[in-house]
Amino acid sequence: METIIRNSGKTQVFREKANKVMGISLEDARLTKSYLSVAFLAILLGGMLGLLQGLNRAGMLELPVWLNYYQVLTAHGLLLVVVLSAFFTIGYFYAGLSHTLGGLLPKVRKMAWIGFWMKIFGFVLAVIPILMNEASVMYTFYPPMAASPIFYIGLVFIVLGVWMCAFGAFINVASWRKRNPGQHIPILSFFATGVFVLLFFGSLPVAIEVFTIIPWAFGWVETINVMVARTLFWAFGHTLVNIWYLTAVSAWYVIVPKIIGGRRWSDLLTRIVVIALVMMNITGGFHHQIIDPGISEPVKYMHVFMSLAIGFPSLMTAYAMFAVFERTARKKGGRGLVGWYKKLPWGDVRFLAPFIAMAAFIPAGAGGIVQSTNQLNQVVHNTMWIVGHFHLTLGMSVVMTFFGISYWLVPYVSKRVLTPQINKLGVIQTIIWTIGMVIMSGAMHWVGLLGSPRRTSYSTYFDNATALSWDPYLFFLAIGGTLLMIGVLIQVYAVFYLMFFAPKGNTEFPVAEVEEDAAPTPRWTERWGLWIVCMLVLVGMAYVIPLVDFIVNAPPGSPPYKTW
Amino acid sequence: MKQSGYGFLLLLALMLPPVSNLLESIMITHMHMQMPMLVFAGFLMAKFFQKRFPQFFEKWNENGLPGILLFTIIMVYWSLPRTMDEALTMTSVEAFKFFSLPFLAGVPLRDSWRKLSSSWKHALIIFFTVLFLGMGWLYIWSPVQLCNNYLVIEQITLGWGFITTAFAMVVYLVYSYFMDFSKYE
Ligand code: HEM
Ligand SMILES: [Cu+2]
Repeated sequence: METIIRNSGKTQVFREKANKVMGISLEDARLTKSYLSVAFLAILLGGMLGLLQGLNRAGMLELPVWLNYYQVLTAHGLLLVVVLSAFFTIGYFYAGLSHTLGGLLPKVRKMAWIGFWMKIFGFVLAVIPILMNEASVMYTFYPPMAASPIFYIGLVFIVLGVWMCAFGAFINVASWRKRNPGQHIPILSFFATGVFVLLFFGSLPVAIEVFTIIPWAFGWVETINVMVARTLFWAFGHTLVNIWYLTAVSAWYVIVPKIIGGRRWSDLLTRIVVIALVMMNITGGFHHQIIDPGISEPVKYMHVFMSLAIGFPSLMTAYAMFAVFERTARKKGGRGLVGWYKKLPWGDVRFLAPFIAMAAFIPAGAGGIVQSTNQLNQVVHNTMWIVGHFHLTLGMSVVMTFFGISYWLVPYVSKRVLTPQINKLGVIQTIIWTIGMVIMSGAMHWVGLLGSPRRTSYSTYFDNATALSWDPYLFFLAIGGTLLMIGVLIQVYAVFYLMFFAPKGNTEFPVAEVEEDAAPTPRWTERWGLWIVCMLVLVGMAYVIPLVDFIVNAPPGSPPYKTW
Repeated sequence: MKQSGYGFLLLLALMLPPVSNLLESIMITHMHMQMPMLVFAGFLMAKFFQKRFPQFFEKWNENGLPGILLFTIIMVYWSLPRTMDEALTMTSVEAFKFFSLPFLAGVPLRDSWRKLSSSWKHALIIFFTVLFLGMGWLYIWSPVQLCNNYLVIEQITLGWGFITTAFAMVVYLVYSYFMDFSKYE
């Protein structure tokens, strides 16, 4: 028995080495390739729908009766915010787990496949009623708007599929820790652990919400508590957004330094950023409910504070990134107060795309602080400003980082190489996307300040003067959207070219090392159980007061409505 | 030593009338925010006392049990509805709160925690879990208003605050029961 265990330990060590030298195993590669393919098909479809919306909002396109604006909007939101992001994140982190932990365990790989098909099945279930105009409730599906029950059952399967992947990741990490006593989880797997912890705990509230909606949508119970449903939704929705952000951040900390030929920033501080983002995340959900009734002023004030606390690790990140850039550039002979920037590899799409993504987070983060402020929120709430904001954060900071990742991750899992032509195409794509998003999101922010509402198909409100004054901006929105659609086409082409047609060869998985003189990281950073408990306590602090109030002082509740 | 300074600052900040009025205006922030922060202030200041009076702690708190007993008594005392009410109406009780929580609970907690064996630590957490479940039950299902100063809805909220905190402690206990840290080190 002893020897068997020791032997299997040895084969494992051997496999880990082989994995590092020879690249990812074919089975693990197939998993990631499938996830990434779905992600990029989602952006293709979602982008097309986005363009339809943009053209409609500018008054240039009338949608046919069998496909109305709200169907398109529901599908656009779901495809991009749920499908693209979830599939990319899982594909990327599973490749990372496979690379840094010596391959996925067979059991874990199977779980990830089951999760894959559950999500696809759930998505198909959700799309059918959307196409039939039975679920035009937008991706937030706020009650009392009620969709066909099939829509919610689809969502349940998506959540279950995500949980499969989260548990798979936990099992793989735990098994690695047992085999490597006394060692720190490799940094990329540390990020993955944080992301899957958030995916699991963040989707618990929405699971509860959906389980209360389903009987109501079937008509088995008559009414629903609207405020509780909204609160549960945003505990999830906000966390989800931050999960994509944390995924992008992982590439900024771990991958980008390697690509520019440098080393990572402090290992300890990086891990602290992860822990802080995991602990403080879920409570941020309330900043989506600043205008909601039923929450008292002091409680809203506490929530603003809890929300802005997330700004702190974000500022640490900004500092860390520029510190790494400057250090690396100076090592390469960069000079002057700012002249060192010339030494960075601007022509390399794997750097350029995530760099612009990071830069975009500066205005995006500033906009976020604006929105979290109670008074300013009243100005921008439910206007196009919000749409501009999340196209900057998600559509630029996160998605452009994903694009940058795709130029090495796809060749890595396909055992091919990034050709200079595709690199150049990628640089062009990055520039088009940047210009398109700056125009579109700029126009959205501005027209939002002038009062143009979000989630509203084109209307001149009986030629009202204010509404007519929005037109020039909405026209810019359409121009930006068109550029973005070109960007989507190039990006999707690049991904599938790299996956199936690029020259064969070995591509490295770029994980940066820590500085040579780095201090060892203390052991307490590995106590995930403790971080989870702290997270639960914070969640309790944020949610107990309003939830008890909503439930104990509940109004009669609402029957389902079909408003479209 | 810097730490002790911060602890002292925290205590002063919590004593500022606008801060204490705000925190005491809501039942749950009174008990679950102000009081733990007072303990935490004492926890930070403990370093100062440990350095100044090493023999005292050595002599009176050799194995950590007297200290943790004192901590527990103070904590239980401040979980009573009646004491909270009195703190709001009588200045002397309010003063005792600002003294006892940092110095009679926070300081001994810091000094004792390291000295306790892990089974004592777990016993303590289990004790507080049970206490919190009991308090939660009392506050949620009590048929009457327990405090003169707080409405029934606030009392129910605090009850759920106790239950969620107890839940978090249960998660921690389960985690440390199933996790064998020696395997990873
Ligand atoms: C071709 C690129 C894109 C275009 C032209 C586009 C355009 C739009 C437009 C015009 C709206 C509707 C505004 C409204 O009426 O409220 C919208 C909503 C939205 N977009 Fe995009 N978008 C694009 C890419 C993306 C990306 C990459 C993401 C995220 C990863 C994204 C996420 C969303 C979300 C979540 C909504 C809100 C849906 C809702 O309010 O229910 N979009 N987009
Ligand atoms: Cu949010």
